[in-house]
Amino acid sequence: MSSVGKKRRIIVLDRNGNRRETESDEDRVPHKKVKNDTLEQRRARSSQHTKSSFEEDLGRLTQEVNELKTGGQEQDQHWPRPNLPESWNPGDEDLIFQQIECDEGTFNGKTTIQLFGVTETGHSVLLHITDFHHYLYVAAPIGFTQQHLQGFRGFLEAKLQNGLEPAIAGVQILLRQNLYGFNGNQLSPYIKIDVTDPKLIPRLRSLIEHGDANYQKMWPAEDGGLKTFDAIQYVMRFMVDTEISGMSWVEVPAGEYHLVGRREKQSNCQIEATVNFKKLIAHPSEGEYQKMAPLRILSFDIECAGRKGIFPDAEVDPVIQIANMITRYGESKPFIRNVFTLGTCASIVNTQVLSYKNEGEMLLSWSDFLHRADPDVIIGYNIANFDFPYLLERAKNLKLVRFPYWTRLGHVKSEAKDSNFSSKQMGNRDTKATNTDGRLQLDLLQLVQRDYQLRSYTLNSVSAHFLGEQKEDVHHSMITELHNGTEDSRRRLAVYCLKDAYLPQRLMDKLMCLVNYTEMARVTGVPFNYLLSRGQQIKFISQLYRKAKEQKLVVPNLLPHGGDEQYEGATVIEPEKGYYDVPIATLDFASLYPSIMQAHNLCYTTLVKKGTCDRLGLQKDIDYEITPNGDRFVKAHRRKGMVPLILEALLGARKKAKADLKKATDPFEKAVLNGRQLALKISANSVYGITGATVGKLPCLQIASSVTGYGRQMIMRTKEEVEKRYTIANGYTHDAKVIYGDTDSVMVKFGPKDLPTAMELGTEAAEFVSQKFITPIKLEFEKVYFPYLLINKKRYAGLYWTNTEKHDKMDSKGIETVRRDNCRLVQVCIETVLRKLLIDQDIEGAQTYVKNLISDLLQNRVDMSQLVITKALSKSDYTAKQAHVELAERMRKRDAGSAPTLGDRVAYVIVKGAGGAKNYEKSEDPIFVLENSVPIDTKYYLENQLSKPLGRIFEPIIGDRKVQQLLTGDHTRTISVSAPAVGGLMKFAKKTETCMGCKIPLTKKEESGAAVCSDCESRFGELYQKTVTRVSDLEVKFSRLWTQCQRCQGSIHCEVICSSRDCPIFYMRMKAKKDVVDAGKDLKRFDVDISW
Amino acid sequence: MGQINVHSHSLSGLFSAANSRLKPGMLLLEARLEQAGVLKKVVDAIKDLVQDCNFDCNDSGIALQAMDNSHVALVSMLLKSEGFSPYRLDRNVALGVNLTSLTKVLRCAQNEDILTLKAEDTPDNLSLVFENAENDRISEYEIKLMDIDQEHLGIPETEYAAAISMPSAEFQRICRDLIQLSESVSIEASKEGVKFSCSGDIGSGSVTLRQHNNVDKPELSTKIELTEPVALTFSLKYLVNFCKASALSSVVTLSLSNEVPLLVEYAMGSGFVRFYLAPKIGEEE
Repeated sequence: MSSVGKKRRIIVLDRNGNRRETESDEDRVPHKKVKNDTLEQRRARSSQHTKSSFEEDLGRLTQEVNELKTGGQEQDQHWPRPNLPESWNPGDEDLIFQQIECDEGTFNGKTTIQLFGVTETGHSVLLHITDFHHYLYVAAPIGFTQQHLQGFRGFLEAKLQNGLEPAIAGVQILLRQNLYGFNGNQLSPYIKIDVTDPKLIPRLRSLIEHGDANYQKMWPAEDGGLKTFDAIQYVMRFMVDTEISGMSWVEVPAGEYHLVGRREKQSNCQIEATVNFKKLIAHPSEGEYQKMAPLRILSFDIECAGRKGIFPDAEVDPVIQIANMITRYGESKPFIRNVFTLGTCASIVNTQVLSYKNEGEMLLSWSDFLHRADPDVIIGYNIANFDFPYLLERAKNLKLVRFPYWTRLGHVKSEAKDSNFSSKQMGNRDTKATNTDGRLQLDLLQLVQRDYQLRSYTLNSVSAHFLGEQKEDVHHSMITELHNGTEDSRRRLAVYCLKDAYLPQRLMDKLMCLVNYTEMARVTGVPFNYLLSRGQQIKFISQLYRKAKEQKLVVPNLLPHGGDEQYEGATVIEPEKGYYDVPIATLDFASLYPSIMQAHNLCYTTLVKKGTCDRLGLQKDIDYEITPNGDRFVKAHRRKGMVPLILEALLGARKKAKADLKKATDPFEKAVLNGRQLALKISANSVYGITGATVGKLPCLQIASSVTGYGRQMIMRTKEEVEKRYTIANGYTHDAKVIYGDTDSVMVKFGPKDLPTAMELGTEAAEFVSQKFITPIKLEFEKVYFPYLLINKKRYAGLYWTNTEKHDKMDSKGIETVRRDNCRLVQVCIETVLRKLLIDQDIEGAQTYVKNLISDLLQNRVDMSQLVITKALSKSDYTAKQAHVELAERMRKRDAGSAPTLGDRVAYVIVKGAGGAKNYEKSEDPIFVLENSVPIDTKYYLENQLSKPLGRIFEPIIGDRKVQQLLTGDHTRTISVSAPAVGGLMKFAKKTETCMGCKIPLTKKEESGAAVCSDCESRFGELYQKTVTRVSDLEVKFSRLWTQCQRCQGSIHCEVICSSRDCPIFYMRMKAKKDVVDAGKDLKRFDVDISW
Repeated sequence: MGQINVHSHSLSGLFSAANSRLKPGMLLLEARLEQAGVLKKVVDAIKDLVQDCNFDCNDSGIALQAMDNSHVALVSMLLKSEGFSPYRLDRNVALGVNLTSLTKVLRCAQNEDILTLKAEDTPDNLSLVFENAENDRISEYEIKLMDIDQEHLGIPETEYAAAISMPSAEFQRICRDLIQLSESVSIEASKEGVKFSCSGDIGSGSVTLRQHNNVDKPELSTKIELTEPVALTFSLKYLVNFCKASALSSVVTLSLSNEVPLLVEYAMGSGFVRFYLAPKIGEEE
């Protein structure tokens, strides 16, 4: 009762700043949460803002978090980690934690391994691991015995000259084998040299490799130097030898570890201890240890106040807001939500608003927040290249010395360094890397760019793609305006900023990046952060070394020799182009390359030279086999290859994960298992690539070329077998025909017109052919295409059937629907055409559709978003001039701030240019085109974009002649050309109205400005009505688009300020706005007619 | 017998169709030009600037007005009705023509042929008839028309500060010579004469023409009418393009005013071709 009264009073006092605060504070004490909510809701209603949908989301969060809240879990909006229980005593308790980062560190002046991690109760751990020595191998020369060890050790010690400290920790003779080449399974002596400090290894290695460590000239001088073995980084060496894999659980029994005293503590972790590496127990990620620790994940976003037309520059432009969301792993909603703002900000439901008068103060308290909340993982969108470096740069300019300590190590400063990442898979990228020792980083932008091929990588379009949700894309110049406004406008900005901080979190959940990458780390054994910062190779190397250790193999340190030796790739059976209206069965080899390696025992260790075969008396086809390329590999009974073993383990584990996945019921377990089976599959498939990469560390072209050689053989064999068996002569109704085949699949036309028979035959054929090959090679029947349009090599489309009831989907390969270097118009057009051809089987309809589309295009009725082409600006100097590069250059001249930079995708449209202008001169910024109504070069789109793919599709169906008609028929004779607002002559030109009926220019005095000419006067009524209808249609259209955008921004009371270049609605809205204005002008002209 | 009937029937059908199209009563436009060469030259002169354009037919003749794609130049052409005999037009009409197609058809005509343009009411086609007097050959062609929705833009008439008339061949030569050196030319008109100058990467050059009167051949005179000195810069690429109209007239008139487009006019006995070109300002292209 009384509470109701008080609530009312709050509203009355609401506009009365301070007094309201005290009143409500008093209230808040008893039921904090409830009060808070109602207050916020009421405030929201009383200010001009109506709640946006995102704010409603925010509102819901607390309730859900509260529901989740049980026993030891996090409290809402409570920053620090839970305290260690009072009773906690290192003498009694085993230290078990999930390690998330593994780094080189120092402790007491000695190099150590640092393991950062989190315990199951959510306490942070730093474990210093001592006494692990790095080492390398060198082959022992003939006559080198135990007696030489002492002398050799002294010799090396003298060469290394490590001051007072000893450099060599030990020298031993061990029996090992070289990884490369089969040698009758004979172990030979190798010298293992341990050093006291891993930093000495490179010196030691170069000493030996340059021939400067030839002790007593015992090694025969071959080319001056010696080969060393096992070149692997210290951290990886440690992980391999202790069998720790990335993100796995480790344990140190009670009493074996020693807590670090307060003085020596290097980190702000709750538990910091040292341990000898021998006492460390690594738990394989199985059973109970599949679990994840309750990691704290911070997702954040900053906003800066840029100046008009210039991209924010950390030297000048302040950071004005930082929004943060912290979620515990396993929970779906963040338990900390706050926003740091510069200047006042009206309060936001369920969010802590921390306002500061001074930017430096705000940044420092943010840094403080980071320390107290102590996240294990930091995520965001483009944080690596923007947010982190910007904050650091800004703090430097404001001279905030205390600011850049985001690491877990008290004395280590976070610094942004330029790094360049280049790989075949991802191309060249300039990135920045900021160190946050002990905290993982996941930049969702980098991740999405890496794993998904999209048209655009803005946060907006990525969330639209994955979450089906858009956000308003506020141009950076608008941000400053909002910031300089009132506390309500700043509130609007804060909500926007919060959403930007929340979306990466949701994306991560949706894409299950953390889970999948964790599983990848566990499967391949590399630390988590290697997965993002390193290429494919390290993953394989990690597995290889683990296996090599078991088998006493040593890996030679091969110097990359950048040779570009080529070998023959996969085969393609010449396609029999055409449109097939009978079912086409597809037979696939499951994991072809891995299974070839397994079946034929292809490995580094089984590769055998001819000489060795003779020496060991090996017999062809019994002890070894010769691959199609003439290389020799011994068979499994002589030596089981290591690569096949790795593959067996990977594929076996995958099978198991898949089986477990079927049984699993818990969504988290399911996610983990699915992530694991995916990681396993990717790892298995990457092995072949590494053997073929000559620039890599472990090239073995003999393996790679043998794999493709077998692959080619198998495809041809399959074709033969199928065509031999399924013939009329053998009692089948038709002669089967292989119409196409590529790498690991063949397409068979069996002949029968009905699906069930085709499927039966497919299943049977797959089994029949599988028998002809060595296990585990297996041909699988997967799907039937019906109908099927085979255009060319790697270009086809068809309706995909796996059951006889209903088709699964429409599948197309190599056709413009999937490629990104063309405009959406092509994509939509081809998709529709294919759908009409394949699903509706309506060839006539498809042609009509194309004709209408072309005629729309030529009359400028196609929406501009359909015509935008995007291309990545990937390097700074192109030899050939390209449209997007030239445009980026021109945009830079126009406005350096908003121009695209290296790595961005540039959006452009092709506009009409002077006669003979090159395409690269005709590219233009879509927004510029819209604003100035520059005419689009519709012919370019017809001739350079549409005609080729359409021709390819239609040619097999309707023939060459009809295709020509499709592209140049009567429907191409109505065109429309708009007059732009730019161009040298436009400011001088005067527009003469033309008659709306017959297009004749109205030059006569009495007609000028009117709608119709004297000849068309009779049609006045008809034309007037037409125009009125048009205007109202356009108005309706515009209103709809406007409302759509308002819904998207989440508030229907605010003006739309979004300018997202990826959003088709944006272009439509801009165009509709202009159309309404233009049509309105046309309508006015009728008034002139009436007056005369 | 029956077969012949069918054959003749289809033939007569063809004829009747052709006849009906050419029947004078149904025609909307009929314009006869003594020399096909005139239209050939006109189209040749403008086809590089404009690809698709409306021919506006009205009482005063056949006119065309369009901007080039980059909107730096404008072409205005008029073939006066007096130039045709006869010129018959029922009502005003805009004929949308693809100039590339029109050029193809006009190549089939010889310069001395008599040319007749014909169009039906609500036309889909424009028909062109070439008659050769010497060997009594009649050729008929049709091209498909387009429906072009284009804004009609014009340059308002202005008083120019300088008007230079000179032999068109001379102007063409100057433009062709100077484009070797640079992309743009500056034209300075003063009492003494008119100076075309340019400078490029490899060097610079200039041509000055003094006012002079050739009594024997007035078309070779250079005349300058000046109210105030003018200096402007233009893109040579466009000027060279304009010069393709030199075949139309031996005299060209350049009209200039500061900060106003240049007007290049080739006058014919019964019509004109005018080009307007925006001046280059500062660093702008």
